[in-house]
Parts: sequence; C-alpha cells; structure tokens
Amino acid sequence: MKEALELLERVSAHPEARCWFLAWSPGGGLLASCGGDRTVRVWGRDGPQWSCRAVLSDGHQRTVRRVAWSPCGNYLASASFDATTCIWKKQEDGFECITTLEGHENEVKSVAWAPSGTLLATCSRDKSVWVWEVDEEEEYECVSVLNSHTQDVKHVVWHPNQELLASASYDDTVKLYREEEDDWVCCATLEGHQSTVWSVAFDRSGERLASCSDDRTVRVWQSYRPGNQHGVACSSTDPTWKCICNLSGYHTRTIYDVAWCHLTGALATACGDDAIRVFEESTGPEPSFSLAAHVPRAHAQDVNCVAWSPTEPGLLASCGDDGDIAFWRYQRPEGC
Amino acid sequence: MAAVMVGHDMFEEIVMAEERFHGEGYQEGYAEGSHVGVVEGRRYGSLHGAKIGSEIGYYLGFALTWQCLLQKCADERNSKKIRALNSLIRMIQKFPYEDPTYDKLQEDLGKIRGKFKQVCTMLNVQSDFRISTESSSLTF
Repeated sequence: MKEALELLERVSAHPEARCWFLAWSPGGGLLASCGGDRTVRVWGRDGPQWSCRAVLSDGHQRTVRRVAWSPCGNYLASASFDATTCIWKKQEDGFECITTLEGHENEVKSVAWAPSGTLLATCSRDKSVWVWEVDEEEEYECVSVLNSHTQDVKHVVWHPNQELLASASYDDTVKLYREEEDDWVCCATLEGHQSTVWSVAFDRSGERLASCSDDRTVRVWQSYRPGNQHGVACSSTDPTWKCICNLSGYHTRTIYDVAWCHLTGALATACGDDAIRVFEESTGPEPSFSLAAHVPRAHAQDVNCVAWSPTEPGLLASCGDDGDIAFWRYQRPEGC
Repeated sequence: MAAVMVGHDMFEEIVMAEERFHGEGYQEGYAEGSHVGVVEGRRYGSLHGAKIGSEIGYYLGFALTWQCLLQKCADERNSKKIRALNSLIRMIQKFPYEDPTYDKLQEDLGKIRGKFKQVCTMLNVQSDFRISTESSSLTF
C-alpha cells in the first residue's frame, strides 16, 4: 500500500518552526505556505524542483495560521494569531500587503475566499465567524459577525460554487451559513463528532462535506434538498445534512486536516500520528470509503495540512510541525 | 396484654427517634434552603439582568449617536454604515426586555453583539465594551 503514495520531494520550508498550512494557487503553479516563524512563503517549480519564490515577512507579529488564494490568483490572504488578516497583492516582483483586516478579539484561525472572489470569511478563537465583502476598489467591509459557535472556531471553508459557508469548531459541531435578506444566518448545525472538529472539506459538487476531528474519525455528510427521493425531511428552504459515513479505527491520533480532491474524488487526511492516509469511495449500495494509501511517517511530527493540486491529478502536498513541506504522487491502487 | 402494647409504642418512639429527627431536620433544612435559594437567585437574576440591560443600553446609545452624526453626511459612502446602524437599532428595539423566559434570549443577544461588532468595524471604532465599576483611570 505504501507505493500508492510516493514521496517526490521534501523541502525545509519554515526552519525551526511549524509549518501550519498550504494553499495551491488556482492555476496550480504556485504553493503558498505559512508558519510559526510569522512568514508566508510562496513556492514555485523549476522543472521537478520546488523553490522559494517569495517570503512575505513583516505582515504579522505572531504565527501565521492559514493562507488562502483568491479565485483569480492575484491576492493572498493570511490569518494570524496576532488577531489580524493581511491581504497581499501579487506584483511584478513579489507581494505587497495592501490591507489589514482587524476586528477579531484574539487569534484568527482561518481565512477563506468565496468562489465569486467578492467575499472573504475569517474565524477566530473569539468564537465568531466574520464575513467580509471586497469591491472593485479593493476596499474590504465587514458584512456580518456570526456568533453561532459556543467555542473556538478552527476552520472556515466555502462551498465550491455557492455562497454557502461552513465552519468547524472546538464545540464539536460544523455549522453552515448563508445570506438571508441582507444578513448572514446559520442555516444548519452538523452534530455527531465527539470532540473538536478541526477541518472540513466539500467535494467537487458541493453535495457532500467531509469533517475530521480530535475524536479520530472522519465523517462524510450528504446534503438532501427539500422534496428529495430519499424521504429525508427538510425545511421548506434549506437542505438537510445527514452523516452518511463514519471512518473510524484508521487514525490513532487527532486528525488535523482533510482534503477532498476535486479532480479524482480521493480523500486525504493529515494526522497527529505523523501519517498521511488516502481514502477512496467504494462502490456498493451504502456509501463507504476504504483506505487506499497510508504513509506512517510522512513527517517527523504531526501533519498539519494536506492539499491536493487543483490542476494535476494525484499531486498532494503536505506540511507539519517539523517545518517541512512534502510533495507526493498518489496513484489509486488496483482493486480499490 | 395491655401493658405489652403500651411498651411496644414507647420503645418504638425511642428507637425511631433518630430517624424522625433526621426527617424533621431534613424538612426544615429543605424549606430554609429553598427560601435562601430564592433570595440568592433573585439577587443574581437582577444583577445579571442589569448587566445585559447595561450592555444593550450602551449599544443603543452608541448607535443612536452615530445615526445622528451620520445623518448630517448621508452620502453614498455612508449608506451601508447607516443601514447597519438602523439594523442594530431595530434589533435592540425588538428585544423583549420584559420577558426573562424568552427562549431565544441568548441567541438574539449574540446577534446584537455581532451586529455591534460589525458596525464598529465599519466605523473604524474600537469595540471594547467592559462592564466595570471603576471607570478608566485618568493619569497626568
């Protein structure tokens, strides 16, 4: 099973610090990383080798926890423990910080761009999720502050093609939000995990959501529309989400990240036991996933993030507490 | 025979005395505890209610002041700010002050707090509201 996921290259990205997160540019040519050394680094490929193209320092006074590219690829957002979110604009010779979003009371844990490119979401240890709107003049404005979670919010992620926002929290739930009459409301709460939900990922269609947790399981949720054939009860306007699959017994520690490949449908996980695992959906009457690949010592310490390339099927990047970025080639094994 | 019957009752009283006192003591304690609990609960409730009232009052005063200030320059740029302020004022006015058993109390309070934070960010004002008996110190 080891051959299914093969190491291509390992890069020491954030020396003597944790590498917290990775984000592929929409075109797949660049990879942004961020870490405990308070910097954001942008990596590009020269042939088979990855090298550092830019170092964005001076933006934050504390750890940078998350980075996200805008859908157009011209902007990078970085969320930091210093309670701010910086917006960097791609220039000829690098990146320039064009604005800093303030407002959260403490550490910002995540940032994400909506597919339209005009909305941005941030979340924080202050238990709130903020939605920001950006106009053509690059002016950012807060359009909503959502206080639905009762604890630290760890991650926010947007639906791939709708203006639907998902958030994961220390309060063991995943919440979904949408705009309703000029304001944002929480339209669904997904309960089931027994501990902190660290990350969520939508599949390509947006009909399914995967969540990973400190309870060492990955749950897959399915959206059911009002009037669906499965007889699932819904409110008149909002779809209902039900847990259709629970992957337990595979991970021996907290699962920090889950990534759903929009090209192949493979599901990768980043675990506190230093391993990376890949799951594939099995055919059958009931939805289920099976373990297709497992690399036990992918990193020397906790793996914090896994990210599938948006343009190259099978290319996976990972990063961990050891400060390294690793690149992997994944090939779906026979009979899986 | 009669002597035996009397003897039976008398011993029962002595034997069951501890249990009886225990029971009576429990009843008295329970009654007193309930009474003290009600008094303490009322005190806590009024304190907590005052805190919430004070917080919302602060938001309302803040919002009305800014609404007044912005009315003087109600141009295109400020229209969103004014809309948000109006929304905050509306939320606060709709809040049921008279009903502590309102089931969505915490939820609506959360929405008001969120709206206040959003308005502060739009106006570029620090939103650090603190309930303190001592006001900020003046230093020279």
